[in-house]
Amino acid sequence: MVGAEEAARLDRLEIQVENGGGGAWEYLCLVRKLKPRRSDKVLKHGLAILNDPKARSNLGGEEWTLYEQVAFAAFDCQQHNVAKVFSLSLPLPLHMCDCVAVLSKEFPGSLRVGRLEGMLLEAENSWAEAEKVYARLLEDNPLDQIIYKRKVAIAKAQGDLKVAVDFLNKYLEIFMSDHDAWRELAEIYVSLQMYKQAAFCYEELLLSQPTVSLYHLAYAEANESQCIEYSGFIILLFLRFLLTAFIEQVLYTMGGLENLLTAKKYYASTITLSGGKNTRALYGICLCSAAISQLTKGRSKEEKESSDLPSLAAEALLRDYKYRAPKKLPLLNSMLKNMKLSS
Amino acid sequence: MAADCCYEVSQIAYVKLVLHALKHPSSAVNGLLLGRLRQDGSTATVEVADAVPLSHAQIGLLPALEIALIQIEEHFEAEGLSVVGYYHANERHNDLELGNAAKKIGDHIFRFFPRAAVLLLDNNKLQKLKTGKGRDPAVQLYTRDSSRSWRQTGSDGSNQLTLKEPAANIVLFDYISSEKWQQIVDFDDHLDDISKDWLNPGLFD
Repeated sequence: MVGAEEAARLDRLEIQVENGGGGAWEYLCLVRKLKPRRSDKVLKHGLAILNDPKARSNLGGEEWTLYEQVAFAAFDCQQHNVAKVFSLSLPLPLHMCDCVAVLSKEFPGSLRVGRLEGMLLEAENSWAEAEKVYARLLEDNPLDQIIYKRKVAIAKAQGDLKVAVDFLNKYLEIFMSDHDAWRELAEIYVSLQMYKQAAFCYEELLLSQPTVSLYHLAYAEANESQCIEYSGFIILLFLRFLLTAFIEQVLYTMGGLENLLTAKKYYASTITLSGGKNTRALYGICLCSAAISQLTKGRSKEEKESSDLPSLAAEALLRDYKYRAPKKLPLLNSMLKNMKLSS
Repeated sequence: MAADCCYEVSQIAYVKLVLHALKHPSSAVNGLLLGRLRQDGSTATVEVADAVPLSHAQIGLLPALEIALIQIEEHFEAEGLSVVGYYHANERHNDLELGNAAKKIGDHIFRFFPRAAVLLLDNNKLQKLKTGKGRDPAVQLYTRDSSRSWRQTGSDGSNQLTLKEPAANIVLFDYISSEKWQQIVDFDDHLDDISKDWLNPGLFD
């Protein structure tokens, strides 16, 4: 997670380098530190340095780090981005192999270079070969976290999400404090619409890093999705069509109500942690409150929650939109009116 | 819904959805299709007039989708358009299967618009654009058949997909070369920074 200031500095440097203003090495170092995915730019500017003998010798020992960085960027560019293949008229596979070849010559038998060789095979879609390389490396380095993660990546790249989930779970049994892995697992569960399991992952993250608002928000959204999932978009139905078969279904989903209450709680904590600035959390409170009041219609008044939170959230949203997105204010207003959160 | 129906996609909608996918090459993207139904005698045509990009991360999370549906429907009602479909681009380059998340969202739209279309980006066709040989739209069309499942059209001739402006692919290629995708904004971007407009006004000026 990158801070706003550093992200701005990165963007500035990128524009500077793109327009020929120099600073390529500084840009590449910042990319290495912050880890955004800017593979096309890294490839372009990294190769420019590597292909210039004077610039390369200026780097001294850092030259090898650059080779590695450019290799990673080349792997990334080759696979996904069709459009980048349009604009970069470089023979990419040639450069990928070159970088890895140079590094293996300089550091024979190195684990780090061995991993690169595995990734090269992955980039060429030779999954079986890549797995062999990793298995061999794991024999000598059984606790190498990166290799385990590559195995998950191979499964994911082949579309075997269930296998990827399996591998990740096994990995997390050993390395249970790896936050990135928990996040990755949660995201895979969300893509499989297994919201309950995703919520469990976010619970682990919340336990170990309770002040990260992102996790509160994600947990709330996973809970709300769980409720929406089997009730079928309750809000939309209530707002547009008052009488449908779904209403009966919704009134019976007690599980739904609990999830909504949990979601509301964590949207609230997200707002606290982020100083009231998180738009998604504010919207989340509004949606949850509207859904909860629909679900608890007809129940006795004691069971109903009464708090100022929904109307405060609505007010905060209206204020924000008035100053920063005035064109969208009428839409927001009408949405909140329908939810009975504003008058 | 066995009746034959044509689907005509406007250049604006088509270009927006491809640019959206290109902006986020390493994740799945999705969005809504807006349009209207036109009845000329016995043929029905669904005109897809515009598209609104929705999200590029954590597509499975539903709260943002709900908010987007509410606001988008309301906005386009004033223009006489409604949600007529959904588009999706898979995370992996060669994945041409319509995933469960896409099917569920499609099902929901189908409830309100029985001729709902789901467009899935086809990367192979997109790649052919470079050679200038691509005349077909770089998307696959899926519609709900009578067995309540989403079926790809084109194999049996019914439910044709056409581009309203025949030069759409050429225009698209131009935009790709000039890296226009960097300017496109989706609903996710709006939620992160509400000053960004998901209507993308002025994108094609």
